[in-house]
Amino acid sequence: MINPSMVPTLDPNPLPAPYWVFKLLLLVTFFLHMLAMNFMMGGAFMAIAARFSSNGSEYRNRIFVDVAKKIPTLLAATITLGIAPLLFVQVIYGQYFYTSSILIAWPWFFVIILLIAAYYGFYFVAYKGKRRPGAAGFVLLASLALVLFIGFIYSNNVTLMQVPSHWAAKYFANPSGWNLNLSEPTLIPRYLHFVTAAIAVGGILLVLLALARWKHDRDYARHLFQFGGKAFMYATMAQFLVGMWFLVSLPRDLRMLFMGDNTPATVLFSAGLLGTVAAIFLMSDALRKDNIRVAAYGVTALTAFIILTMVIMRDILRDAYLEPYFHPHQFPVQTQWAVFPLFLVLFLGGVALWLIMLKRYGLFTSTKPTDI
Amino acid sequence: MNYPIWDVAFGAGLLIALVAGLHVFVSHFAVGGGLFLVLTERKARRTNDAPLLNWLKSHTKFFVLLTVVFGAVSGVGIWFTIGLISPTATSDLIHIFVWGWAIEWVFFFIEITAALLYLYGWDKLDPKLHEWYGWIYFIAAFASLVVINGIITFMLTPGSWIDVHKFWIGFFNATYLPATFFRTAICIALAGIYALLTASVQKDLDLKARIVRWGALWTVPALIALPLFGWWYIREIPAAIFASARGPMPTATHYAFLAWTLLAVTFVLTLWALLRPKHLHLAFALLVALVALGAMDSFEFVRESVRKPFVIENYLYDNSLYAAAMPGDGGFTIDNLNTVGVLNAATWVQHRTITPGNQVSVGREVFRVECQACHTPNHYRGIHQLIEQRQWDPTTVHAMLSGLALMHNGVMPPFAGTDAERDALAAYVNSLQTITPNPATFTNGKLVFENYCSMCHQDRTDDMLFTSLAPDPKVAADSLKDLTILFPLMPDLKLSEAQRTSLVQWINTQRPAVQHTMNHPPANRPSPASEGGN
Repeated sequence: MINPSMVPTLDPNPLPAPYWVFKLLLLVTFFLHMLAMNFMMGGAFMAIAARFSSNGSEYRNRIFVDVAKKIPTLLAATITLGIAPLLFVQVIYGQYFYTSSILIAWPWFFVIILLIAAYYGFYFVAYKGKRRPGAAGFVLLASLALVLFIGFIYSNNVTLMQVPSHWAAKYFANPSGWNLNLSEPTLIPRYLHFVTAAIAVGGILLVLLALARWKHDRDYARHLFQFGGKAFMYATMAQFLVGMWFLVSLPRDLRMLFMGDNTPATVLFSAGLLGTVAAIFLMSDALRKDNIRVAAYGVTALTAFIILTMVIMRDILRDAYLEPYFHPHQFPVQTQWAVFPLFLVLFLGGVALWLIMLKRYGLFTSTKPTDI
Repeated sequence: MNYPIWDVAFGAGLLIALVAGLHVFVSHFAVGGGLFLVLTERKARRTNDAPLLNWLKSHTKFFVLLTVVFGAVSGVGIWFTIGLISPTATSDLIHIFVWGWAIEWVFFFIEITAALLYLYGWDKLDPKLHEWYGWIYFIAAFASLVVINGIITFMLTPGSWIDVHKFWIGFFNATYLPATFFRTAICIALAGIYALLTASVQKDLDLKARIVRWGALWTVPALIALPLFGWWYIREIPAAIFASARGPMPTATHYAFLAWTLLAVTFVLTLWALLRPKHLHLAFALLVALVALGAMDSFEFVRESVRKPFVIENYLYDNSLYAAAMPGDGGFTIDNLNTVGVLNAATWVQHRTITPGNQVSVGREVFRVECQACHTPNHYRGIHQLIEQRQWDPTTVHAMLSGLALMHNGVMPPFAGTDAERDALAAYVNSLQTITPNPATFTNGKLVFENYCSMCHQDRTDDMLFTSLAPDPKVAADSLKDLTILFPLMPDLKLSEAQRTSLVQWINTQRPAVQHTMNHPPANRPSPASEGGN
């Protein structure tokens, strides 16, 4: 039984810009966060896979070392790009987000501690991976386990924030924040859907590293390409099963959104599916023809497109879950014209400065792979 | 009560203290240390000091590993934690200042990128370009401080924002500038203190001495500047608010004392390090850092404490009730709760009615939504300890709940709710007793004062209790029979005749004889305790 009275009321301060501005910023920054997160988590997964499948193979050990070096920077990007959607989700979904966070307060709080531990672990591996591959392999495994657990806590929170009708029973049974959302039927498939995607993108990271080494170190680059490309293919094939599981775990009315009931959702779903099939064939073809460019540019672009469709579908799904409670027109709006344009100017200036920083560092022109 | 309360047995507030207390010590280093890196690099290159440059490389790694990992993640951690503990205030601040936060994020993004490129660029970039990244890092880091400081100071001195609701009015509030200078001085001081840490493990003693001297050049002037900026800061805080830190509020007073003392100790220790710079030991450098951490966190505690009972001064109480009714307040105001009751107004309570059988569990819920933002039943600021220590019996507890707003110079919000809900709260608080208090047994005047009066009155002769009590002991003791006649907001405590007599006796031994003859009428005073702090 829906008990809308459990949804906290909005605070008295109006939105300082129209609703769609925050929605757009949320989706754009969350998409970027997802890209970085996928590279980071998938990269860590591939480094582990390389390390523990090496059997003395020099190339596999090199993959481990080369990929592990990138993880701290990718994690920095994940966190930095994660702060913006964390901000914007609070602007428009605060009533739901704070509540579900409080219900799972301890796991949510532990995210911070686990993240710091994982981060230092990744740095240890990046600095010591070459000299102490044995220890580094296990530290990397531990750090990966931590970020996987963090992802799981996130999945618990975002699934819980969508179902206010489940809140009261959970809270009053345990107000001390020792909860998760394990009874949610979509939790596990949804989480695995994200993890499987990250593994596929980890494969792409290897393909990109292969591209950077293609001219100078062809044999190793080819090994990277094969290893990463195949991982991408198999993970993406598995994604069909996991994605199907996720789809059937959704309540029927929500599932039907993607199968005809909601046109944008259906179009995105079809585009995502077609894109995924195309990506598998494209990668398979590139691997067979040893065509690194198609894999590195084509499949990467296609995957970014698929992730974008997933991010938008995820948003449509959330709003469908919250439909009995959440309506954008509920927000009073009073645009802060005295500061909003300043943000836009600083944001664009910031992006420009960021690109100049990367350019002056030689990231766009370097013929040799860089350290970061 | 609009949001569920995260019920942490040992006190959720301690988690904020833990996360924020460690974060600020690293985040201020992240700003000052950035300037330190780039200026030290320039100095080393100008003087062709290769060992210094080499040390700076390893110091950069230490800097990045500490600030980019712990500093950045614990900063996000503050956000996580305040959202869990004060969701209403967080939501308010997000909606009021989202463009401020968003601008800060842009600077943060630049900051992190520049930090990593600076670190990885040591052996790759030409010196000029490398320093360029250092400058970008520092400017972005400082800019993020400048932005976040507007939001933090707003919480203490929102000023006329409360009436006009304009972003920049709230942002450039009364304490904004002094706090910016104050925090900048902390950043500079910490840059030198952290340098001692990595300097102390250097084998090259001449190099070590050079770094210690150079670090002290940052720390010493900054520590001298801090009291000046602190004085300016305090001047901009309305006197009534800061009065808490000078007597009436134990926490704020203790921390204010600690902050100044530890600051002085940091200063002395830094000078000490200068005396024998070649022999600086890691343990000593750690001690300096630890004392500085204590000084800094004490300051942050004072800042947080003097704001009580508000989380946003004059706008939102610590327990998430709004100070005044306004459109969109959701009914979460003291007045509305007094009218409709907590159980009707709150979203996250289980009981909606009070019966003789559920009084204690209702009281538990009222405690959770109204008191638990600061108190716990049995641990941090535990009510159990408080009432047992003072031997409060049920009638005293009940009476005291009417006088919350007067306690400790007004650091607590008043009780909000119906009489029946107050009864329920009193029943719950009394259920925490594990002893049987027998207040009639203590008749020592000082003890009576401590147990019954010291919540609101201070043991000083300029406190109203001392200045306005009738000179004649008999008349004075009689006047204490009914406290609400003395002052309507006082709790209706019933002292025995012996207690009243001994209290008056003790008071008369404390105040100068001349005061016995002074007899101020107690009327027209907003708060008897407010006399004390001025």
